[in-house]
Amino acid sequence: MKFSLMKPLRPLQPLFSSLWIPSFWIAVVLTAGCTSPGVQRPGGSRVTEIRADERGRVAGTGIESQDLVAVADKMARSLLNVPQVAQGPTAPRIVLEPVLNETRFAINKEMFLDRIRIGLNQKAAGRMIFLARDRMASLEKERELKRTGAVTSSTDPQLQEFKGADFFLTGKLQSLTTRNSKGVSDYVLYSFQLIDPRTSEIVWEDAAEVKKEGSEDAAYR
Amino acid sequence: MIPDLAGVKTAMGWGSPGGRACRRVTGVMARVLLGAIFCVLGGFLGGCANAGSGGTAGGRAERDRLLHAYREAAERMKARQFTEAKIPLDESIAALGGLTAGDRSARQARGLFRKEDVKNFRGEPYERVMAYYYRGILYWMDGEMDNARACFRSGQIQDAEAEDGRYRSDYVLLDYLDGLATAKLAGDGSDGFRRAVANVRGATPPPLDPAANVLVFIEMGKGPAKVAAGGHGERLQYVPGSARAVSVRVQVGAQGLAVPWYDDLTFQATSRGGRVMDGILANKARFKEGTGAFGDAAILSGAVLGSQQGHGSNVDEIGAGLLIAGVLSKIVSSVTTPRADVRCWDNLPNTLGFGALSLPPGSHSGTAEFIDSAGQVLSTQSVSFTVVAGRDTVLFFPDHN
Repeated sequence: MKFSLMKPLRPLQPLFSSLWIPSFWIAVVLTAGCTSPGVQRPGGSRVTEIRADERGRVAGTGIESQDLVAVADKMARSLLNVPQVAQGPTAPRIVLEPVLNETRFAINKEMFLDRIRIGLNQKAAGRMIFLARDRMASLEKERELKRTGAVTSSTDPQLQEFKGADFFLTGKLQSLTTRNSKGVSDYVLYSFQLIDPRTSEIVWEDAAEVKKEGSEDAAYR
Repeated sequence: MIPDLAGVKTAMGWGSPGGRACRRVTGVMARVLLGAIFCVLGGFLGGCANAGSGGTAGGRAERDRLLHAYREAAERMKARQFTEAKIPLDESIAALGGLTAGDRSARQARGLFRKEDVKNFRGEPYERVMAYYYRGILYWMDGEMDNARACFRSGQIQDAEAEDGRYRSDYVLLDYLDGLATAKLAGDGSDGFRRAVANVRGATPPPLDPAANVLVFIEMGKGPAKVAAGGHGERLQYVPGSARAVSVRVQVGAQGLAVPWYDDLTFQATSRGGRVMDGILANKARFKEGTGAFGDAAILSGAVLGSQQGHGSNVDEIGAGLLIAGVLSKIVSSVTTPRADVRCWDNLPNTLGFGALSLPPGSHSGTAEFIDSAGQVLSTQSVSFTVVAGRDTVLFFPDHN
């Protein structure tokens, strides 16, 4: 009786042992695949502080902070070696002229010159003086208040004390872009000049170049 | 969805003489096992359907962040809330400037069991171009002509991946405005102008006039929409946009200007050609069909083998195995999702136009009449503005027809 009972079960044993285990695991694996329904970093990501001259996790082929820092530092070092600056009898007065952006990247252009100016002011130790021409409206208003006696003045307000520029510092950003189904490549040339406004001579010029390339995920191509 | 268990029963030797208790135990075991598999996979199906159609609200919002930014930008532009429009446009351009290599959501979108729309939305090239185009207009409005030109150039780059070389970077207005900005910045804009004229499909733009100080941007109609075509929705196709107006007549004092359209977004959307993602979706569709067909064949074969051979034989076992493999294959087929992403920047215009006027400094007022193909005026918009010496005034006329 026991034998006859067990007989129909014989084919079942290998059937279950061979099928239910893979079936179970397939189901488990597939189920596990659904536990995160498309949310990236559902727990968020902690704030990470990185240096401005480092490439961050979020990157493109455009102009980024590490480029700005590297280019500005290079230009500042180069400017300090200009004879008119390093060996002149008096510290030259410099006016920053807006950078011309000829790239395909919309940027805050003033940041480049501001970063160069800050670097030079830190390192030049008075060997060059920058004039705040971008604040002229406020400066003229203040001078007018002093001249009319509306506010006090420690010097004679009638004297013309606004200084003229010995040099203009300006620059230009240019780029070349290639984009096709394989990816995108951007070359950016950063060139800066120090110009003598009296003679129109370019007394110093230097450039930095950065090339980046990458490709989009296939899901976006 | 639960298959007929007759074949399984036969394969298991159900009909052979044996004790009732053993049959009951065996029946319960088989049902419990198959039930468990179906329950788990049912849960999987439900989970995946949820993931594909939206997942959590937070996940959906994150994936659609750029889509909402695009739509808000267009709404703001139409409402002439230009300062407010800069915020979503800057957000969009910042996102578009980064590369997507390594993007987890994109990797998921390429997977077999996720829809394409689980990826973070960036839009098709014609949509990305429009983000740059709008931002370029706003930069020009602010007097930042070089940044405006940068946006027009980046817009043109977004269109550089068209399958057919004739349609790569072929926006007439982007090249024309690149040339105009270059000419105004004392450069040589003739190259941009030449490219613009070479790609003309609507009206031919006039020669560059660097002295023009009032720039008129117009847009007409409603842009294209996306649909998922093909047996499994794996093919991205477009419903063409339309525009009742074909031109705009701008009148400021004694000066009149006919502003035609130069670019057609439906043409741009449909001339892009195949995407790399289309191939991935086609493969998904083939996999879905293959596993489905295999499942059908396996279930049928398993049922036949199980029901027609002698009980307790190896053939019974093979039949049962085929049956279960067939069911699993059908399940895998059913959860394979080749559906194309049809999220769409749906408040774009269909055509874009541009014109330029030279006006003296001071206050001005004028009208813009939207005109249909029969020459009838569809609507009129009034505008008052001030021309300042030394910088351009930018007017924007959206189509409310």
